[in-house]
Amino acid sequence: MIPLLNLDAVNAYYGAAHVLHDVTLSVCPGERVALVGRNGVGKTTVVNSILNLASLRGGTLKFNGVVQHGLRTYGAARAGISVVPQGRRIIPNLTIEENLLLGGAVKRPGPWNLASIYELFPILQERRNTPGTALSGGQQQMLAIGRALMANPQLLVLDEPSEGLAPVIVDQLADIFNRLANAGTALLLIEQNLSLITRVARRFYVMAKGSIIEEGALEGLDIAQLHKHIVV
Amino acid sequence: MIGLQILNGLVYGSLLMIVASGLVLIYGLRRVVNFAHGSLFMLGAYIAYAAAQQFGFWVGLVAAVSVLAAVGFCLDRFGFRLLQDRDPLTVMLVTFGLLLVFEDVVQSVWGKQSYSLAAPESLAGTVELFGSPFPVYRLVIVAAGLAVAAALVGWLRHSRVGLFIRGASTDPVTTAMQGVNTDRLSGGVVAVGAALAGLAGVVSGPFLSLSPTMGSDILIDSFVVVVIGGLGSFAGAFVAAMILGQVQALGAVYLPDLAALLPFALMTAVLVWRPSGLSGSRT
Repeated sequence: MIPLLNLDAVNAYYGAAHVLHDVTLSVCPGERVALVGRNGVGKTTVVNSILNLASLRGGTLKFNGVVQHGLRTYGAARAGISVVPQGRRIIPNLTIEENLLLGGAVKRPGPWNLASIYELFPILQERRNTPGTALSGGQQQMLAIGRALMANPQLLVLDEPSEGLAPVIVDQLADIFNRLANAGTALLLIEQNLSLITRVARRFYVMAKGSIIEEGALEGLDIAQLHKHIVV
Repeated sequence: MIGLQILNGLVYGSLLMIVASGLVLIYGLRRVVNFAHGSLFMLGAYIAYAAAQQFGFWVGLVAAVSVLAAVGFCLDRFGFRLLQDRDPLTVMLVTFGLLLVFEDVVQSVWGKQSYSLAAPESLAGTVELFGSPFPVYRLVIVAAGLAVAAALVGWLRHSRVGLFIRGASTDPVTTAMQGVNTDRLSGGVVAVGAALAGLAGVVSGPFLSLSPTMGSDILIDSFVVVVIGGLGSFAGAFVAAMILGQVQALGAVYLPDLAALLPFALMTAVLVWRPSGLSGSRT
């Protein structure tokens, strides 16, 4: 199977700072993959490499088996890889509905449109004409997920979606991610919340100091082994 | 008498509105304070003048707006886009350099003397207002300003591209993440901004006179408008343009000694009262 996303020995930099060292990682269609690691180990830089927000020097990056040269920030969404960024990045001067419509900038065909997003997140419809930033943290996360889904992605990259959210909201997120995955959307879940990881992901990578130091299947894994890579 | 002065203020305010809205558009997408904007205004007027000699005012108008749109696109494609990761001060200096270049080009082609562009014959008459004759053409300038403002607001509020522009002016990275080609978008927006500067230049031709310094004059007033209105805000710029138009027109008559100072006094007062401008929430 051709991976939707494939990093092969990728080295990424911010200016002169070498952040990712030979990172190899792939996500195949329909897979649920977790990328685990402490703060500052380079997890978000993996996302930024996909979005051309960090510069790649060495290694190859492929979307759907196609090597990406001269990558642009808008390239990933067009290739079917949508990102729910860390901190959600809701655009404050746009209403909830406008934030969603912005997510539909890529006209990929698929099941997601305003109506189906509103069915998934009724609160967004109720408040569709209010500014996106008027929502609570959990609702903003839903808006960010809805916005990414509007592009009808094959792969959803979720960067710390549980950050700053109450456990009950994290439970809701787990349900939503499982529904999306069951419907065939591949997930790359970047997380430190072990309960969310174990409920959603099937495979994992562990990062430390800009490198992948461990990978494998979650099934049958002693969770304590993951735990030691997250808790300081 | 005062009625006529207020009308003249409206006319100048409308011109400022067209010029300033281009500045706001370009600042929104590229975060560039475009010093060359005044020279685009001037270039528009001179191109229209040259074309109008042969083919009349309307051909001049179309020619100026089209040429300026192309200039704007090139300015973004070969200027702002290549400089987008540089220090904003560097880019500002580049636009200042362009201003000097454009002024010299205009001077070497047309010389230092001033010209006047004739209003189209159909609009050359006068109407009786407040008991004195008032040129119809000036009322047309006001109408043009209002039309541009309405068209811009409609475009930005209700079109798909308008949504992308509003998104990208606040958060270009997140907007690009959604798959919006922000490079092409900026090219288009800078082209529209430059075309508006050109349009204002042509429209001002029969009202102000054409000279190589006309660009710097209006640029300074436009900057005052953008600062008073709040950087990046259209509504603020529209209101500020109208206020400044009145200040200029009434000041010239009632406080002639202080007229040159008034815009800056107004700007200082507004900034003391509201440091980010009338409607400024964004920085």
